[in-house]
Amino acid sequence: MLSTRVFSRGLLRSARPRSTAFFTPRRMITTESIPASSADSILAAQRLIRPVSPHLTIYQPQLTWYLSMTTRITGVALSGTFYLYAIGYVLVSPFGVDMSVANVSKKWGELNGAVKAAVKVPLGACFSFHFWNGVRHLVWDTGRELTVRGVYRTGYGVLGLTALSTLGLLVI
Amino acid sequence: MASTLRSSAARRILAAKPTSAIRLLPQTRIAAFHASQRHQILPPGPQVVHGTVNDPVPVPTPNAAHGSYHWAFERIIALGMIPLTVAPFAAGTANPALDAALGTALVLHSHIGFDACVTDYFPKRQYAKTRTFMIWLLRASTITAAVGLFSIQTNDVGLTEAIKKFWKA
Repeated sequence: MLSTRVFSRGLLRSARPRSTAFFTPRRMITTESIPASSADSILAAQRLIRPVSPHLTIYQPQLTWYLSMTTRITGVALSGTFYLYAIGYVLVSPFGVDMSVANVSKKWGELNGAVKAAVKVPLGACFSFHFWNGVRHLVWDTGRELTVRGVYRTGYGVLGLTALSTLGLLVI
Repeated sequence: MASTLRSSAARRILAAKPTSAIRLLPQTRIAAFHASQRHQILPPGPQVVHGTVNDPVPVPTPNAAHGSYHWAFERIIALGMIPLTVAPFAAGTANPALDAALGTALVLHSHIGFDACVTDYFPKRQYAKTRTFMIWLLRASTITAAVGLFSIQTNDVGLTEAIKKFWKA
Protein backbone atom coordinates (compact mmCIF):
# COMPACT_ATOMS: atom_id res chain seq x y z
CA MET A 1 0.00 0.00 0.00
CA LEU A 2 2.63 2.45 1.17
CA SER A 3 5.02 1.47 -1.57
CA THR A 4 2.28 1.94 -4.20
CA ARG A 5 1.61 5.45 -2.93
CA VAL A 6 5.26 6.42 -2.95
CA PHE A 7 5.59 5.05 -6.45
CA SER A 8 2.53 6.95 -7.77
CA ARG A 9 3.77 10.16 -6.09
CA GLY A 10 7.03 9.83 -7.85
CA LEU A 11 5.21 9.37 -11.14
CA LEU A 12 3.09 12.44 -10.54
CA ARG A 13 6.10 14.55 -9.63
CA SER A 14 7.89 13.63 -12.77
CA ALA A 15 4.78 14.37 -14.88
CA ARG A 16 4.24 17.88 -13.47
CA PRO A 17 6.28 20.93 -14.55
CA ARG A 18 9.35 21.49 -12.42
CA SER A 19 8.45 24.70 -10.72
CA THR A 20 9.52 25.61 -7.23
CA ALA A 21 6.29 27.53 -6.66
CA PHE A 22 4.35 24.32 -6.86
CA PHE A 23 6.14 22.82 -3.87
CA THR A 24 6.21 25.97 -1.75
CA PRO A 25 3.37 25.84 0.77
CA ARG A 26 1.09 28.79 0.29
CA ARG A 27 -1.54 30.04 2.76
CA MET A 28 -4.71 31.23 1.11
CA ILE A 29 -5.90 33.08 4.24
CA THR A 30 -4.16 35.40 6.63
CA THR A 31 -4.91 35.62 10.33
CA GLU A 32 -4.33 38.49 12.69
CA SER A 33 -4.53 38.76 16.41
CA ILE A 34 -7.21 41.19 17.64
CA PRO A 35 -8.13 42.30 21.14
CA ALA A 36 -11.31 40.92 22.72
CA SER A 37 -13.06 44.30 22.46
CA SER A 38 -12.83 44.46 18.66
CA ALA A 39 -13.76 40.77 18.47
CA ASP A 40 -17.01 41.75 20.21
CA SER A 41 -17.65 44.54 17.73
CA ILE A 42 -17.10 42.18 14.80
CA LEU A 43 -19.53 39.72 16.39
CA ALA A 44 -22.06 42.49 16.95
CA ALA A 45 -21.71 43.60 13.31
CA GLN A 46 -22.24 40.02 12.14
CA ARG A 47 -25.31 39.61 14.32
CA LEU A 48 -26.78 42.79 12.92
CA ILE A 49 -27.00 41.29 9.41
CA ARG A 50 -28.70 38.08 10.53
CA PRO A 51 -32.36 37.84 9.60
CA VAL A 52 -34.72 38.96 12.36
CA SER A 53 -36.70 36.10 13.85
CA PRO A 54 -40.34 36.36 12.85
CA HIS A 55 -42.43 37.17 15.92
CA LEU A 56 -45.93 38.67 16.25
CA THR A 57 -46.92 37.89 12.66
CA ILE A 58 -46.36 34.13 12.91
CA TYR A 59 -48.65 33.54 15.87
CA GLN A 60 -52.24 32.52 15.32
CA PRO A 61 -54.55 35.32 16.50
CA GLN A 62 -56.12 34.01 19.70
CA LEU A 63 -58.37 35.54 22.32
CA THR A 64 -55.70 35.02 25.00
CA TRP A 65 -52.91 37.19 23.71
CA TYR A 66 -55.13 39.57 21.74
CA LEU A 67 -56.99 40.63 24.90
CA SER A 68 -53.71 40.86 26.83
CA MET A 69 -52.24 43.14 24.18
CA THR A 70 -55.44 45.20 23.97
CA THR A 71 -55.35 45.85 27.74
CA ARG A 72 -52.01 47.58 27.41
CA ILE A 73 -52.98 49.50 24.28
CA THR A 74 -56.24 50.76 25.81
CA GLY A 75 -54.46 51.64 29.07
CA VAL A 76 -51.82 53.65 27.23
CA ALA A 77 -54.54 55.40 25.19
CA LEU A 78 -56.53 56.38 28.30
CA SER A 79 -53.57 57.42 30.45
CA GLY A 80 -51.99 59.13 27.46
CA THR A 81 -55.09 61.29 26.97
CA PHE A 82 -55.12 62.14 30.68
CA TYR A 83 -51.38 62.95 30.73
CA LEU A 84 -51.62 65.10 27.60
CA TYR A 85 -54.36 67.29 29.06
CA ALA A 86 -52.85 67.47 32.58
CA ILE A 87 -49.36 68.28 31.24
CA GLY A 88 -50.82 70.81 28.79
CA TYR A 89 -52.68 72.36 31.71
CA VAL A 90 -49.32 73.10 33.38
CA LEU A 91 -47.07 73.84 30.41
CA VAL A 92 -49.36 75.70 27.99
CA SER A 93 -51.32 77.88 30.46
CA PRO A 94 -48.35 80.24 31.17
CA PHE A 95 -48.31 81.21 27.47
CA GLY A 96 -51.73 82.79 27.73
CA VAL A 97 -53.70 79.82 26.40
CA ASP A 98 -56.83 79.23 28.43
CA MET A 99 -56.59 75.55 29.36
CA SER A 100 -59.38 75.68 31.97
CA VAL A 101 -61.92 72.85 31.87
CA ALA A 102 -64.74 75.30 31.13
CA ASN A 103 -62.99 76.80 28.08
CA VAL A 104 -61.50 73.63 26.57
CA SER A 105 -64.72 71.62 27.02
CA LYS A 106 -66.67 74.48 25.40
CA LYS A 107 -64.30 74.45 22.39
CA TRP A 108 -64.53 70.68 22.26
CA GLY A 109 -68.33 70.87 22.40
CA GLU A 110 -68.43 73.22 19.43
CA LEU A 111 -66.77 70.62 17.21
CA ASN A 112 -68.67 68.64 14.57
CA GLY A 113 -70.70 65.73 15.97
CA ALA A 114 -68.91 63.21 13.74
CA VAL A 115 -65.51 64.35 15.03
CA LYS A 116 -66.71 64.06 18.61
CA ALA A 117 -68.11 60.59 17.96
CA ALA A 118 -64.84 59.54 16.30
CA VAL A 119 -63.07 60.34 19.57
CA LYS A 120 -65.74 59.36 22.08
CA VAL A 121 -66.57 55.90 20.69
CA PRO A 122 -62.96 54.60 20.81
CA LEU A 123 -62.30 56.33 24.14
CA GLY A 124 -65.47 54.86 25.69
CA ALA A 125 -64.60 51.44 24.32
CA CYS A 126 -61.03 51.77 25.64
CA PHE A 127 -62.28 52.63 29.12
CA SER A 128 -64.90 49.87 29.13
CA PHE A 129 -62.47 47.24 27.92
CA HIS A 130 -59.67 48.27 30.28
CA PHE A 131 -62.09 48.33 33.21
CA TRP A 132 -63.61 44.90 32.58
CA ASN A 133 -60.37 43.21 31.62
CA GLY A 134 -58.78 44.77 34.71
CA VAL A 135 -61.49 43.07 36.78
CA ARG A 136 -60.73 39.83 34.91
CA HIS A 137 -57.04 40.15 35.80
CA LEU A 138 -57.88 40.74 39.45
CA VAL A 139 -60.04 37.60 39.40
CA TRP A 140 -57.05 35.69 38.03
CA ASP A 141 -54.86 37.17 40.76
CA THR A 142 -57.04 35.44 43.33
CA GLY A 143 -56.28 32.13 41.57
CA ARG A 144 -59.72 31.73 39.99
CA GLU A 145 -60.57 31.04 36.33
CA LEU A 146 -56.98 30.06 35.55
CA THR A 147 -57.90 27.28 33.13
CA VAL A 148 -58.18 27.33 29.35
CA ARG A 149 -61.97 27.19 29.74
CA GLY A 150 -61.90 29.92 32.37
CA VAL A 151 -59.70 32.17 30.23
CA TYR A 152 -62.04 31.86 27.23
CA ARG A 153 -65.24 32.15 29.29
CA THR A 154 -64.07 35.32 31.05
CA GLY A 155 -62.59 36.62 27.79
CA TYR A 156 -65.91 36.44 25.95
CA GLY A 157 -67.59 37.86 29.06
CA VAL A 158 -65.27 40.86 28.96
CA LEU A 159 -66.03 41.43 25.27
CA GLY A 160 -69.78 41.31 25.92
CA LEU A 161 -69.61 43.63 28.92
CA THR A 162 -67.35 46.00 26.96
CA ALA A 163 -69.90 46.27 24.16
CA LEU A 164 -72.73 46.90 26.64
CA SER A 165 -70.93 49.49 28.76
CA THR A 166 -69.57 51.31 25.69
CA LEU A 167 -73.14 51.70 24.46
CA GLY A 168 -74.16 52.78 27.97
CA LEU A 169 -71.44 55.42 28.13
CA LEU A 170 -72.42 56.82 24.73
CA VAL A 171 -76.10 57.02 25.72
CA ILE A 172 -75.34 59.01 28.91
CA MET B 1 -7.09 4.28 -3.36
CA ALA B 2 -8.33 5.83 -0.16
CA SER B 3 -9.32 8.97 -2.03
CA THR B 4 -11.24 6.92 -4.58
CA LEU B 5 -13.15 5.30 -1.76
CA ARG B 6 -13.88 8.63 -0.11
CA SER B 7 -15.10 10.26 -3.30
CA SER B 8 -17.41 7.39 -4.10
CA ALA B 9 -18.83 7.58 -0.58
CA ALA B 10 -19.37 11.31 -1.01
CA ARG B 11 -21.07 10.69 -4.35
CA ARG B 12 -23.37 8.18 -2.74
CA ILE B 13 -24.36 10.69 -0.04
CA LEU B 14 -24.96 13.44 -2.58
CA ALA B 15 -27.03 11.15 -4.77
CA ALA B 16 -29.18 9.97 -1.86
CA LYS B 17 -32.53 11.67 -1.26
CA PRO B 18 -32.91 13.82 1.84
CA THR B 19 -33.61 11.86 5.02
CA SER B 20 -37.18 11.29 6.08
CA ALA B 21 -36.97 13.75 8.99
CA ILE B 22 -36.34 16.64 6.63
CA ARG B 23 -38.91 15.51 4.08
CA LEU B 24 -41.61 15.26 6.77
CA LEU B 25 -41.50 19.01 7.50
CA PRO B 26 -44.56 20.64 5.92
CA GLN B 27 -43.65 22.93 3.05
CA THR B 28 -46.09 25.65 4.15
CA ARG B 29 -44.18 26.23 7.37
CA ILE B 30 -40.93 26.87 5.57
CA ALA B 31 -42.71 29.19 3.16
CA ALA B 32 -44.32 31.08 6.06
CA PHE B 33 -40.94 31.45 7.73
CA HIS B 34 -39.39 32.94 4.64
CA ALA B 35 -42.37 35.18 3.98
CA SER B 36 -42.30 36.65 7.47
CA GLN B 37 -38.60 37.22 7.17
CA ARG B 38 -39.22 39.68 4.38
CA HIS B 39 -41.97 41.50 6.28
CA GLN B 40 -39.97 42.64 9.26
CA ILE B 41 -41.94 44.59 11.84
CA LEU B 42 -38.89 46.28 13.22
CA PRO B 43 -35.24 46.33 12.14
CA PRO B 44 -32.84 44.54 14.49
CA GLY B 45 -31.82 46.63 17.46
CA PRO B 46 -28.23 47.31 18.42
CA GLN B 47 -26.35 44.05 19.03
CA VAL B 48 -24.50 44.22 22.32
CA VAL B 49 -22.04 41.55 23.40
CA HIS B 50 -21.37 41.42 27.14
CA GLY B 51 -18.80 38.92 28.41
CA THR B 52 -18.65 35.41 26.98
CA VAL B 53 -21.07 32.51 26.70
CA ASN B 54 -19.36 30.84 29.65
CA ASP B 55 -20.23 33.60 32.14
CA PRO B 56 -22.77 32.55 34.77
CA VAL B 57 -26.15 34.27 34.75
CA PRO B 58 -26.10 37.04 37.35
CA VAL B 59 -28.61 36.26 40.08
CA PRO B 60 -30.23 39.45 41.38
CA THR B 61 -30.41 39.98 45.12
CA PRO B 62 -33.91 39.11 46.30
CA ASN B 63 -35.80 42.26 47.20
CA ALA B 64 -39.43 42.23 48.32
CA ALA B 65 -39.83 45.89 47.27
CA HIS B 66 -39.19 44.82 43.65
CA GLY B 67 -41.20 41.64 43.94
CA SER B 68 -44.15 40.78 46.13
CA TYR B 69 -44.68 44.25 47.70
CA HIS B 70 -44.57 45.90 44.29
CA TRP B 71 -47.03 43.33 42.96
CA ALA B 72 -49.38 43.77 45.93
CA PHE B 73 -49.14 47.58 45.66
CA GLU B 74 -50.16 47.47 41.99
CA ARG B 75 -53.15 45.20 42.77
CA ILE B 76 -54.32 47.35 45.70
CA ILE B 77 -54.37 50.45 43.49
CA ALA B 78 -56.11 48.59 40.66
CA LEU B 79 -58.65 47.11 43.06
CA GLY B 80 -59.30 50.53 44.59
CA MET B 81 -59.92 52.01 41.15
CA ILE B 82 -62.97 49.81 40.53
CA PRO B 83 -65.19 51.63 43.04
CA LEU B 84 -63.34 54.94 42.58
CA THR B 85 -64.11 55.17 38.85
CA VAL B 86 -67.79 54.39 39.41
CA ALA B 87 -68.70 56.01 42.75
CA PRO B 88 -68.09 59.71 41.96
CA PHE B 89 -70.20 59.51 38.81
CA ALA B 90 -72.89 57.38 40.44
CA ALA B 91 -73.09 59.77 43.42
CA GLY B 92 -73.97 62.64 41.12
CA THR B 93 -72.30 65.35 43.19
CA ALA B 94 -68.61 66.22 43.13
CA ASN B 95 -66.93 65.14 46.33
CA PRO B 96 -63.43 66.58 46.93
CA ALA B 97 -62.31 63.53 48.95
CA LEU B 98 -63.41 61.06 46.25
CA ASP B 99 -61.85 63.31 43.60
CA ALA B 100 -58.55 63.33 45.47
CA ALA B 101 -58.59 59.55 45.93
CA LEU B 102 -59.44 58.91 42.26
CA GLY B 103 -56.84 61.41 41.07
CA THR B 104 -54.07 59.89 43.22
CA ALA B 105 -54.93 56.35 42.15
CA LEU B 106 -55.13 57.44 38.50
CA VAL B 107 -51.67 59.04 38.53
CA LEU B 108 -50.07 56.06 40.30
CA HIS B 109 -51.82 53.49 38.10
CA SER B 110 -50.83 55.39 34.93
CA HIS B 111 -47.22 55.72 36.07
CA ILE B 112 -46.95 52.01 36.88
CA GLY B 113 -48.48 51.13 33.50
CA PHE B 114 -46.15 53.40 31.50
CA ASP B 115 -43.21 52.18 33.56
CA ALA B 116 -44.02 48.58 32.62
CA CYS B 117 -43.99 49.63 28.94
CA VAL B 118 -40.57 51.28 29.29
CA THR B 119 -39.22 48.18 31.05
CA ASP B 120 -40.57 45.93 28.29
CA TYR B 121 -39.73 47.91 25.17
CA PHE B 122 -36.35 49.42 26.12
CA PRO B 123 -34.30 46.46 27.41
CA LYS B 124 -31.37 47.52 29.57
CA ARG B 125 -28.91 45.33 27.63
CA GLN B 126 -29.65 46.84 24.21
CA TYR B 127 -30.98 50.33 24.90
CA ALA B 128 -29.28 51.36 28.17
CA LYS B 129 -29.17 55.10 27.35
CA THR B 130 -32.63 55.31 25.76
CA ARG B 131 -34.06 53.41 28.72
CA THR B 132 -32.55 55.84 31.23
CA PHE B 133 -33.88 58.75 29.18
CA MET B 134 -37.36 57.22 28.96
CA ILE B 135 -37.45 56.52 32.70
CA TRP B 136 -36.62 60.13 33.50
CA LEU B 137 -39.00 61.42 30.82
CA LEU B 138 -41.76 59.35 32.41
CA ARG B 139 -40.92 60.62 35.89
CA ALA B 140 -40.97 64.22 34.70
CA SER B 141 -44.27 63.62 32.84
CA THR B 142 -45.90 62.01 35.87
CA ILE B 143 -44.87 64.86 38.16
CA THR B 144 -46.05 67.47 35.64
CA ALA B 145 -49.34 65.63 35.16
CA ALA B 146 -49.75 65.40 38.94
CA VAL B 147 -49.15 69.15 39.26
CA GLY B 148 -51.70 69.78 36.51
CA LEU B 149 -54.21 67.48 38.16
CA PHE B 150 -53.65 69.18 41.52
CA SER B 151 -54.39 72.51 39.95
CA ILE B 152 -57.52 71.12 38.24
CA GLN B 153 -58.66 69.77 41.63
CA THR B 154 -57.94 72.95 43.60
CA ASN B 155 -58.39 75.89 41.20
CA ASP B 156 -60.70 74.37 38.61
CA VAL B 157 -63.83 72.22 38.73
CA GLY B 158 -62.16 68.99 39.89
CA LEU B 159 -61.50 65.69 38.15
CA THR B 160 -64.99 64.13 38.20
CA GLU B 161 -66.65 67.34 37.06
CA ALA B 162 -64.02 67.83 34.33
CA ILE B 163 -64.60 64.34 32.92
CA LYS B 164 -68.38 64.91 33.00
CA LYS B 165 -68.05 68.24 31.20
CA PHE B 166 -65.87 66.81 28.45
CA TRP B 167 -68.04 63.74 27.99
CA LYS B 168 -71.30 65.65 27.80
CA ALA B 169 -69.97 68.62 25.82
